[in-house]
Amino acid sequence: MDLSNRTRQRISLGIQAGLFALVVVVLALVVNWTAIGQSFFNVEPVLPMFPEIFTVGLVNTLQYTFFGFVFGLLGGTVLALMRLATFPVYRWLATAYIEFFRGIPAILVFIALGFGASLAFGWNLSTLQVASSALAIVGSAYIAETLRAGLQAVPKGQVEAARALGMPAWRAMVTIQIPQAFRIVLPPLTNEAILLTKDSSLIFVVGMAGSAAELTKMGRDGINMYQAGLTPLVVVSFCYLLITIPLSLLARRMETRGSRPTRRKKVKA
Amino acid sequence: MTIEDLHKSFGDNEVLKGISMRVEPGEVVCLIGASGSGKSTLLRCVNRLEEPNAGQITVGQHTATHPDVNLDAMRREIGMVFQQFNLFPHLSVLDNCTITPRKVLRASKAQAESDAMEQLEKVGLKHLSERRPDQLSGGQQQRVAIARALTMKPSLMLFDEPTSALDPETVGDVLAIMRQLAQAGMTMIVVTHEMGFAREVADRVVFMDQGVVVEEGSAAQVIGAPEQPRTQDFLRRVLNPLSEQ
Repeated sequence: MDLSNRTRQRISLGIQAGLFALVVVVLALVVNWTAIGQSFFNVEPVLPMFPEIFTVGLVNTLQYTFFGFVFGLLGGTVLALMRLATFPVYRWLATAYIEFFRGIPAILVFIALGFGASLAFGWNLSTLQVASSALAIVGSAYIAETLRAGLQAVPKGQVEAARALGMPAWRAMVTIQIPQAFRIVLPPLTNEAILLTKDSSLIFVVGMAGSAAELTKMGRDGINMYQAGLTPLVVVSFCYLLITIPLSLLARRMETRGSRPTRRKKVKA
Repeated sequence: MTIEDLHKSFGDNEVLKGISMRVEPGEVVCLIGASGSGKSTLLRCVNRLEEPNAGQITVGQHTATHPDVNLDAMRREIGMVFQQFNLFPHLSVLDNCTITPRKVLRASKAQAESDAMEQLEKVGLKHLSERRPDQLSGGQQQRVAIARALTMKPSLMLFDEPTSALDPETVGDVLAIMRQLAQAGMTMIVVTHEMGFAREVADRVVFMDQGVVVEEGSAAQVIGAPEQPRTQDFLRRVLNPLSEQ
């Protein structure tokens, strides 16, 4: 067919727009919008959820995620260094840990800590302890792989140059390799924080007191309390987006800034 | 610096097949030869960036190949300049030059910075000390790399094809710095394809091929009137790249 590029683009655009219109019409006709409106967008239970949804739910979610991420980062750093160690036993242990915790559902770790730990060891862990440890245990496995990739992404010549200048191996690692790797891994680490924010909802399997409730728990409570449909879940969803969208914008900004150097003052020299 | 019967293999591939050479203090030696002839590997064995399989290397009072050698102390006396510059991209030009004196030699910040500025002035880049490496041209980066190596006050400088990754118009600046350094009495081993530089600056030229030293002598001898057919062949191809076709 002898169609010009422009004609082809127009036809393609026409097909896309047509499909879209068709889907809109079908949805408008088929879906019971009244029912959806009543279930999901009923304003009645919204107001009573405030301010607790912020002062309790959002605060707890942020708290569980924050501690989970910080300890996950610490654990992930240790695991990443173990994976790169010359002593093979370290490498095996780190690999086993990472494969295990990346391979099982995070909810199992919550259950193990929430119920198992008290049965097995007699520990009486608070909700904060269970949630942040579970997130740290799972998160460190993912973070370790991100950090390892970051360390390996630093060109080999960088460490060679540092060693050739007379830096000992640990010094080259600390002063040259890690700061550069950190820049590379900031965007993927931010994504990891987003995943942990969402996973903090898994604490629901363990159950918690009202004062320790995080967003998802408050949403479920809202459904039960007001018997007015699923609107509390919509409110909760927006609260999660309040955390995750800024994080994701941050990650994108760091990605585009990429290798641009930070100001000299910030560099630990 | 002396090298005795140096052997190095990568897997089954023997890259250096028994190299011996001696470099006197203040001497400038240029290593020439085709890619894959083992020149860079030889250079990288001198400061043990590559682990030799056999043979002995001594640099000053350090025996580089001895198992108990203090590698870091030895490397501080050997400056190295790489083909790809390898400046630290997260540090300013000045910090590139001060980080090792400060972190390894425990020099004070003021001392390290005044030393570094002195070296940067010698390579003509004092005014760019606050810049980042990626804001410099290739030639400027390589000059910073030379200044960085000199801040450790080495007694021997190794240059691994320092101008091969540069735009042609910046090669001259880097070679001029190296010539200046040679005239100041620095001991230098230079792996290079710049025959003009070798001819002018080198006290001795060593031609390597397939892991052995084929011919060595003054620049006038080796480049001007080579005796070995392999040297003649190599030089003909380097000096007149179009003549063979």
